[in-house]
Amino acid sequence: MSLESSSPCQLSLLPHRLSHQSVAEVERIVKANDREYNGKFQYADNRIHTSKYNIITFLPINLFEQFQRVANTYFLFLLILQLIPEISSLTWFTTIVPLVLVITMTAAKDAADDYFRHRNDNQVNNRQSEVLSDGKLQNEKWMNVKVGDIIKLENNQFVAADLLLLSSSEPHGLCYIETAELDGETNLKVRHALAVTSELGADISRLAKFDGTVVCEAPNNKLDRFVGVLSWKDSKHPLSDQRILLRGCVLRNTSWCFGMVIFAGPDTKLMQNSGKTKFKRTSIDRFMNTVVLWIFGFLVCLGIILAIGNSIWENQVGGQFRTFLFQNKKEKSFVFSGFLMFWSYIIILNTVVPISLYVSMEVIRLGHSYFINWDRKMYYSGKAAPAEARTTMLNEELGQIEYVFSDKTGTLTENIMTFKKCSINGRLYGEEHDDSVQKKEITKKKEPMDFSENSQADRSSQFLDPSLKEAIRSGDPKVHEFFRLLALCHTVMSEEDSSGKLTYQVQSPDEGALVTAASNYGFIFKSRTPDSITIEELGTLVTYQLLAFLDFNNIRKRMSVIVQNPAGQIKLYSKGADTILFERLHPSSKDLLSLTSDHLSDFAGEGLRTLAIAYREVDDKYFKEWHKRREVASAATHGRDDQIARLYEEVERELTLLGATAVEDKLQEGVIETIASLSLANIKIWVLTGDKQETAVNIGYACNVLTEDMNDVFVIAGNTVGDVRGEVRKAKESLFGQNNSVVDGHAACEEPQQLELASVREDTVTGDYALVINGHSLAHALESDIKHDLLELACLCKAVICCRVTPLQKAQVVELVKTHRNAVTLAIGDGANDVSMIKSAHIGVGISGQEGLQAALASDYSFAQFRFLQRLLLVHGRWSYFRMCKFLCYFLYKNFAFTLVHFWFGFFCGFSAQTVYDQWFITLFNIVYTSLPVLAMGIFDQDVNDQNSMDCPQLYEPGQLNLLFNKRKFFICMAHGIYTSLVLFFIPYGAFYNVAGEDGQHVADYQSFAVTMATSLVFVVSVQIALDTSYWTAISHVFIWGSLAAYFIILLTTHNNNIFGMFPNQFPFVGNIQNSLTQRCIWLVILLTTVASVMPVVAFRFLRMALYPTLSDQIRRRQKAQQKARPTRRQRPQTRRSSSRRSGYAFAHQEGYGELITSGKNMRAKNPPPTSGLEKPLYNSTGWLENLCKKTTDTLSSFSQDQTVKL
Amino acid sequence: MKEIPEHLSRMPDNTAVKQQKLPAHEVRFSAKFVLCIFFGTGAFCLCVGVILILSAKRAKKIEINYTTICANCAELRENPFNFNRECRCSIPFYLPEILEGNVHMYYKLYGFYQNLYRYIKSRSNTQLVGENIKDVKDCTPFTVSRDGTPIAPCGAIANSMFNDTIMLSYKLNSSVQVRVPMLKKGLTWWTDKYVKFQNPSLNDLPSKFAGSTKPPNWPKPVYELDKNNPDNNGFLNDDFIVWMRTAAFPTFKKLYRRLYRIHYFAQGLPAGNYTFHISYNFPVTRFGGEKSVVLSIPTWCGGGGFFLGVAYTVTGALTWMASFALMAFHLAWEKKKVTPKE
Repeated sequence: MSLESSSPCQLSLLPHRLSHQSVAEVERIVKANDREYNGKFQYADNRIHTSKYNIITFLPINLFEQFQRVANTYFLFLLILQLIPEISSLTWFTTIVPLVLVITMTAAKDAADDYFRHRNDNQVNNRQSEVLSDGKLQNEKWMNVKVGDIIKLENNQFVAADLLLLSSSEPHGLCYIETAELDGETNLKVRHALAVTSELGADISRLAKFDGTVVCEAPNNKLDRFVGVLSWKDSKHPLSDQRILLRGCVLRNTSWCFGMVIFAGPDTKLMQNSGKTKFKRTSIDRFMNTVVLWIFGFLVCLGIILAIGNSIWENQVGGQFRTFLFQNKKEKSFVFSGFLMFWSYIIILNTVVPISLYVSMEVIRLGHSYFINWDRKMYYSGKAAPAEARTTMLNEELGQIEYVFSDKTGTLTENIMTFKKCSINGRLYGEEHDDSVQKKEITKKKEPMDFSENSQADRSSQFLDPSLKEAIRSGDPKVHEFFRLLALCHTVMSEEDSSGKLTYQVQSPDEGALVTAASNYGFIFKSRTPDSITIEELGTLVTYQLLAFLDFNNIRKRMSVIVQNPAGQIKLYSKGADTILFERLHPSSKDLLSLTSDHLSDFAGEGLRTLAIAYREVDDKYFKEWHKRREVASAATHGRDDQIARLYEEVERELTLLGATAVEDKLQEGVIETIASLSLANIKIWVLTGDKQETAVNIGYACNVLTEDMNDVFVIAGNTVGDVRGEVRKAKESLFGQNNSVVDGHAACEEPQQLELASVREDTVTGDYALVINGHSLAHALESDIKHDLLELACLCKAVICCRVTPLQKAQVVELVKTHRNAVTLAIGDGANDVSMIKSAHIGVGISGQEGLQAALASDYSFAQFRFLQRLLLVHGRWSYFRMCKFLCYFLYKNFAFTLVHFWFGFFCGFSAQTVYDQWFITLFNIVYTSLPVLAMGIFDQDVNDQNSMDCPQLYEPGQLNLLFNKRKFFICMAHGIYTSLVLFFIPYGAFYNVAGEDGQHVADYQSFAVTMATSLVFVVSVQIALDTSYWTAISHVFIWGSLAAYFIILLTTHNNNIFGMFPNQFPFVGNIQNSLTQRCIWLVILLTTVASVMPVVAFRFLRMALYPTLSDQIRRRQKAQQKARPTRRQRPQTRRSSSRRSGYAFAHQEGYGELITSGKNMRAKNPPPTSGLEKPLYNSTGWLENLCKKTTDTLSSFSQDQTVKL
Repeated sequence: MKEIPEHLSRMPDNTAVKQQKLPAHEVRFSAKFVLCIFFGTGAFCLCVGVILILSAKRAKKIEINYTTICANCAELRENPFNFNRECRCSIPFYLPEILEGNVHMYYKLYGFYQNLYRYIKSRSNTQLVGENIKDVKDCTPFTVSRDGTPIAPCGAIANSMFNDTIMLSYKLNSSVQVRVPMLKKGLTWWTDKYVKFQNPSLNDLPSKFAGSTKPPNWPKPVYELDKNNPDNNGFLNDDFIVWMRTAAFPTFKKLYRRLYRIHYFAQGLPAGNYTFHISYNFPVTRFGGEKSVVLSIPTWCGGGGFFLGVAYTVTGALTWMASFALMAFHLAWEKKKVTPKE
């Protein structure tokens, strides 16, 4: 992303930048159809960049990034040192070749990654859109769209940029959009054009002449805000977010619309929300940087010791030697000699952290990524979507996750609402089909019900209870009434295409499910006009007069219609939250009430979204009188809403209960098990959703994030900073009791103690708590000092649900936990609204296979189903972490053993920086002799198999606690390495001190010693890797034996006569293998060295296993036993919660649709000319529109939680 | 869930590698296994140790340090200006019993650092292999003489070559001294003699070495190292080759001569009185070093002292101790594990 766009992104994160930014663009002035004019401002065009480099910047930026790694800089430094001849103690190729190799490989990989990003960008940038230019529509690529252009969108197209809606195919410039990509909500939202512009219609010539000027705010990331003014034809029209189509939305149910580009490309709200692409690194990487620094410190210490030794030696011995051995007799300062020797030793000892470590780490991670890609158990055949590791850098971090931040819609849920069950007149229907997935599939295969008389039946409906069908057939009036109500009382719009196929436009998926269910049972909603509803009741068309529409809102929590059937009967049909509706029942329904109530509890227990259904027969006379009063109230100038509400209350009483519906916001398969398993693994799951509080909480219960046994669920829903502070404090008080409240008062100023305190207290809190917080409270909390309190509270809770949060807030929450808790976080989501969260978490996981790919593209890992998260973390993550740690321990050990020998040798060679080994051995040791076995272990090793990893989530804990590679482990490895190096040096030293060969020729020469040491070392580390490998496959065999073989083959080659003949200076070890390695005593030395360095390790391992067996040791033992007795696959019992909780009711849409329907503005006139009848209803129309706008602004200003209209 | 046609399926292959289901055996340290290994290793090490100690005990060795015995020569050599003054030194000694077998004579240096980085480096393999006599670039600081002629053999190693001559004589009876016949050949590795070191040409060495000069410390040029045997000259001189194979530690011995087993010496060195006649040229006191002459017979495991045997014995003993400790631990732990069950 370019610099220009990334800085405003941080606008809200970093308030002090605001002033700086405002200099850049305070307000935006855009003139329609005038590229020349708009060009003056140099607004960003519609091209987007998610790629990091281009051809020119690649080299500098990539090198800069690579040299941010401590290790790379360290090797560069060494390389420079080596170029100084006074210091150089190794040949140049020992450092430069690996370094160049590593840098090139990494660069190549980064280049490939970025190439794919370029390709994706190009794909998006090259999407076609129709742009109005030179008076006609022309196809343009997205990237060529400029601010001020007028573009045409068609149904189901993605919006290319942030547009001002000018006109649409629908009457009054209405258009519907789906904002799932932005906020995750799938219900349709309405946008409407200004009356003045909607007149333009599809008239190209008029549109081309449109020259309005928009003055509006600068680009920002607030999705639900837009302030601007359109000046056109000498009048000014205020613009709100209701007139704006945002990039990333999809046009629905609208055949076309025209819009004028206001913000393009990186300035769009979608891109402003997407956060910056970050260079992610794992905590092991960061720890390795620290370790490298420690090792470097250690090297400096060794270097100083050796340098001092050299100074002393030069002073005592070397001075005399110089006259004898060296010609130049001029007295060199022994201090200076020590100084030079210091650097020489730094070079020699650098192999403690060989650069091949980093290459190997990358290779291992790559291998693990491939395993993820190849895992059949993470392949979703439904969408032909295998899991994909999109980053290959982060695998071991998957084994250390402590917090999972999950989106709801599309991630936990399938985003499909299904009518699951119902209770009609005290009888429960749909019981037997809800349990297992398998059952469902069976019932699906056999044709379960005969819908022959009903062509509209939705075959995909899961709820097919024959007994209910039977009840309908037998003509049970209550059942009929039940479905009639479902077919009548809703805000769904229908559309019938030429073939007679009905499609429903739903504002809330719940309603869609209910109406579809009704039509499945023969009560088909056909069409509606502002004052009538036509349904097909078991084959006969019936038209009901719609007398009144008592709209839903959040206080009422119900919705009713008053209709008159053809027989003249007036009925009020009502559906709504059970608690509300039950208060308004006629006393006669009392028995039914308790029965239905039980059913409702059952439904709730299964996590279904329920609605109670009731009706009332209304007296004709009473209705007329009521209607009159209502009209008066509607005309009232002030207190109108209150009056109307009171009237509604009045008529909605003495209801007769019909029953209840249960809609399932269908969870993805295996979500409950996954969550249960993850929480057993001590992973905390936070649900962050753009949804309403009720919906979110409901899903929380449905998927066991929230459980009935929780001691308390705190709800933070304050409107002001003060409220939030109060609520947080109250919640904390109830957690800790009153005593600590004084401390809580002082917030951020004493942050470190605070957090410490929290960790201390974490143990003192007993019981499970959960926290529910909404977006507004979160906004207050995040911008003030409460955030530490909030974080502390949240972290003490078992579960946290954040609802109504914007994409940026999601990222902020993740960021908050990430920075203050020092924990590894994972964010999982499916939509564009999750992108920023995915990018800011340590690990971002995208659900792929959905329509929008942004989340998957921005993610580090992607797969099709939430349940795969379990396998990703518990199996792949755990293995990766386990393997990586084992690899690192072994690798550090190996190199300590390898390198420190030089240190000991220093004491016997006058501290002259003479290496113990052949230069070839030093160059090849890490690359060839020991690389493959440790790679095989790092890639293939398993301590316990995947099944056991899944079955015992507790096995995950060592990763979270970082037990397998930490300071302690590092020092153990170091000690182990030092011990081995001691054995490795002093046994041959003792043996060589006075030795002669079998034939009397001396073998105590430097070269024989070097070869003996090298061979011993290769043996010792090979035996060690053999001990460390816990999962011996054919590959391990090949690699371990192969490495030994390679060692000897290379030895034979480099000690070969012919190669010496060709390069006498490069291969001075000629003949060593024939002469040294044929001596018995040398083999005895090698054998003793191996035994002495390996046996203690075996003893320690054995004792540790016996005395402190880890969980994985125990499971391995069990696994071994299982293998003997063919294991019986244990099936985890299906987690079902039994609870008496009354679940949330199902209403996902906001207020206002009733008005929309009764005004008839969203209805297409049956007979074409839509503009003809426009004059009259226009007034009316603007009336409701204003009304709607007013409500929107009201809710916005009051920050009331659920009435907020998003976007 | 609709069926995806086979060819569209992106289902990963079901291979053992890809699914991480490779057949494998798992290494686990079971008590039996570990204890067996421990006892076995311990027994093995003890055996080897005992054998090594025994054979080291049998090995006979005579070492005579002549640094102080030949103090006057040492003093003379302290001054580098006396380099061309000869100094001889005789060291009589008595051999109480016969040294049977292939007796080898070594010289041994104490405190001579042949393993210094700049020392080891200071040689030219291309020169020594006879390819290019004038290639002296690796030989700093002994590359060229003051007048610019390249040194052959160049470098610090060659320059510091051990140049004492040691001769052994046997007192056959009170009046007759016999010079113990010694072989000058077969002191080096075959590869050194035939691969690593080559003269520029087989005959007429002086002309081949024309244009080069002797190392500054040498009294005579390289082609005059052995006047008695023309084949033992130039780079192919055995003493030179032995010296050029640098030692790993500051104390080292190098093979000087082998006993030529004829006449009296067919069995080895018989008991009796011997004398070393040493032409003392190599200054060691200047750097605080010492030198000695060694007579020994290599054993099957090399002529090394007791170290390896002792090390093996100690390792074996420790391993056994550890195995008993582990067994005790194991039994106690097994008991602890069993008792709560009862």
